[in-house]
Amino acid sequence: MLNFVVRRLLAMLPVLLAVSLLTFLIASLLPGDLALVVLGDQATPENVAALRRDMGLDQPLWWRYLSWLGHVLQGDLGRSFRTGQTVLQAVAERIPVSLQLMLMAEFIGLLIGVPVAIACAARAGGAFDRFMTGSAFAILSMPSFLVAILLIYLFAVELHWLPATGYVPFSEEPLDNLRFFVLPALTLALAEWPGIMRVLRSDMIATLQEDYIALAKAKGLKPARILFVHALKPSSLTLVTVTGINIGRLLGGTLIVESIFALPGIGRLLVGAIYTRDLVILQGVVLLVACGFVIVNFIVDMLYAVLDPRIRHGHA
Amino acid sequence: MTKSAAAARKHAPIFLVAAFAILPLSEPAQAQKSGGSITVGQELEIAGFDPLKVGVYDTSTFTAAAAIFDTLTTLNEKGEAAPKLAVSWTHSDDYMTWTFKLREGVKFHDGTPFNAQAFKENFDRQKDPANKCRCAFYITNVKEVQAPDDTTVVYKLTDPSVNLPATITIQSQNNVIHSPTAWKTKGDDYNRNPVGTGPYILKSWTAGDRMVLEKNPNYWDKGRPYLDRIVLKPLPDAQSRFASLQSGEADIIWDDEADADNILKAQKDSKLTVHTYKGSGAQVYAFNTKVAPFDDVRVRQALVMAIDRPKMSQAISNGLSRPASNPYGEGSWVKCKDDGALPFDVEKAKALIKDYGKPVEFKMLVTATPRGRMIGQVLQQFWKRAGANMEIEQVDQATIPSRAFTRQFQMTPWRIVDLADPDPQMYANFRSGSPLALAGYSNPELDKLLDHARVTADLGQRTEDYCAISRLINKEAIWFWTFQNTYYALSSAKLKGFPKIYNSVIDVSMTWLE
Repeated sequence: MLNFVVRRLLAMLPVLLAVSLLTFLIASLLPGDLALVVLGDQATPENVAALRRDMGLDQPLWWRYLSWLGHVLQGDLGRSFRTGQTVLQAVAERIPVSLQLMLMAEFIGLLIGVPVAIACAARAGGAFDRFMTGSAFAILSMPSFLVAILLIYLFAVELHWLPATGYVPFSEEPLDNLRFFVLPALTLALAEWPGIMRVLRSDMIATLQEDYIALAKAKGLKPARILFVHALKPSSLTLVTVTGINIGRLLGGTLIVESIFALPGIGRLLVGAIYTRDLVILQGVVLLVACGFVIVNFIVDMLYAVLDPRIRHGHA
Repeated sequence: MTKSAAAARKHAPIFLVAAFAILPLSEPAQAQKSGGSITVGQELEIAGFDPLKVGVYDTSTFTAAAAIFDTLTTLNEKGEAAPKLAVSWTHSDDYMTWTFKLREGVKFHDGTPFNAQAFKENFDRQKDPANKCRCAFYITNVKEVQAPDDTTVVYKLTDPSVNLPATITIQSQNNVIHSPTAWKTKGDDYNRNPVGTGPYILKSWTAGDRMVLEKNPNYWDKGRPYLDRIVLKPLPDAQSRFASLQSGEADIIWDDEADADNILKAQKDSKLTVHTYKGSGAQVYAFNTKVAPFDDVRVRQALVMAIDRPKMSQAISNGLSRPASNPYGEGSWVKCKDDGALPFDVEKAKALIKDYGKPVEFKMLVTATPRGRMIGQVLQQFWKRAGANMEIEQVDQATIPSRAFTRQFQMTPWRIVDLADPDPQMYANFRSGSPLALAGYSNPELDKLLDHARVTADLGQRTEDYCAISRLINKEAIWFWTFQNTYYALSSAKLKGFPKIYNSVIDVSMTWLE
């Protein structure tokens, strides 16, 4: 097992390096001169040239990359030229919001997706199965900004049950905090559960055709016991992958949902950085989010090994 | 120095401001109620307040700055300069020196006394070349600020300004006054821990979420402000910002013409109030007259005459945008009987292009935003009808100024923003030799009018000058104007005392709840 972990960790290094290079290139190749952004519309060419020198923008790209990477490896991701905050400070302020949103969205997604998938698989091709597969497809085709606005109009403007926008930290007002998160988490979950449902459903159907299930049935085990105990665990490998990918994706915040619901998470930080051309924040946050994604996938790999012994022994 | 100030006072008409000193802002006769709290839904996240860090304030920062800080002067209901931290002012005959008498006994929130020295330190910090402040550009017309005694501030200008007290009212990075003690002791942290003399004190600020401002109990203007608390929240999405106003989570929100549907909806809702301010200035475009085909006046006139502004307004903002025929707009004190606007006339436009004889093909810079593209496409259609081919060149917002300054464009969008006086922008945009005179057009008559308007005190005479300028520019069609500036805020009908949106600033500092 230890051997497996070390192998996977080593495999992460080139990925992370590639991520850092891509992040840097994207930020550097964006149109617009960073010095001009800092100095503003009416900057004189001399001042722009001077600042370009100060910022090292007159150096070749590869040199700038290596120097940035050097700083990053020492834990220095830079400082926003607009707010004076370091990237780490800015991310530390925002990450709890995105984490909570991600956890609640995944939780609601699984809460809807898993039972529906099991019920569908149990009677594959039946009326419920056909209905749910169809609805899942319909819901999946609705973009999140539309779902969000519909939910706001229904629950905030018309019914006044939940707030339309806003945020308070859980530590200050736990109940209000949850109220603020319900609509955004539901918006995301509505896009998550069809995916969860579909992969789990098809894996379940395949598992249910295995010989050992037939044996279990023949032994006279209750259908519920067969579904939840004997079929669910072996069917959940793809589900773990999908959940892992979702978590990684939501870790970076959701640009649209956080903006609509005015949640101060990582997504909003990124949108703000893009609007204001705050490239230091932009490349720092993208790098951190990408690293988070890689790490989550590493954890998923580890879970695989726990769920399926064949993988950790290298047979798969 | 004191001598020159005294001389200035002797020769200049002293503004009758003492009467206003007790009630600096004239207000409609309504019973103000104290107490309560409001939430303001803003478009952007505030980056900070230190001019050295943020360079320029955006619309959201203006709102916060108007509550935390004071300026020397403010604009009254009529749009004239009125006292704030300055109680009176005088100027020299040539309008190159302005002397302000300061209000006594005012203290910053941290207890530091406000005086002429504090004001000068604010100014010097921005002006110091070593600080490389982006904000310094906007005070290039001020040579220096002197503080001969505790209550006297003297502006020494490089160019005459007949209306300086009105042009320094905007709650911008240059005009709001910070506590020197605060920025010196807090260093890098000052940006997000601002200290002013204003009616509200920053209580807490959660990045990306909310800024809480509490009433300043020691505010110099006794009895004000009225609200106990103002909460500023960034609500970046226009739809959910409006939904928050409808559901009562926000009491007032920023808005603009791009969100026309919601503005129209709010107009019909009795629980909401639409605050509109018809500001001066306009959305404008410059031709580069140094390059073909715009070196020929016929082509320029043809393109201007081909624009159907009412139809364009329908297309981009449901008809909310108000067509502009001059660079001043209805919000300006410059009112022209004849501004010389070219009529909308497609046939005439076609004839002019035919007369020109060569194919008219050119590129226009547009900002790479949905709105920028839409405006570009509408203009493209108008011009196609007149027989001209425009190609849209989408560029980043930050690229436009640099392209404009280096004259690497054929046609570029520009802005004339709401300011209390037309001089700063008109002089910069049209005087030969100015870096901002984007058209590259030079005309001794135009220069003479601009020079005369800036040193004349009589408003009637200045109006004549500016109308003559408008006629000349419209006739030569070196720039054109599409729509006037209109500023919007939507609020709950319970919010009272909201002033005009001068200089595009949503100032809620003196509002109250009914």
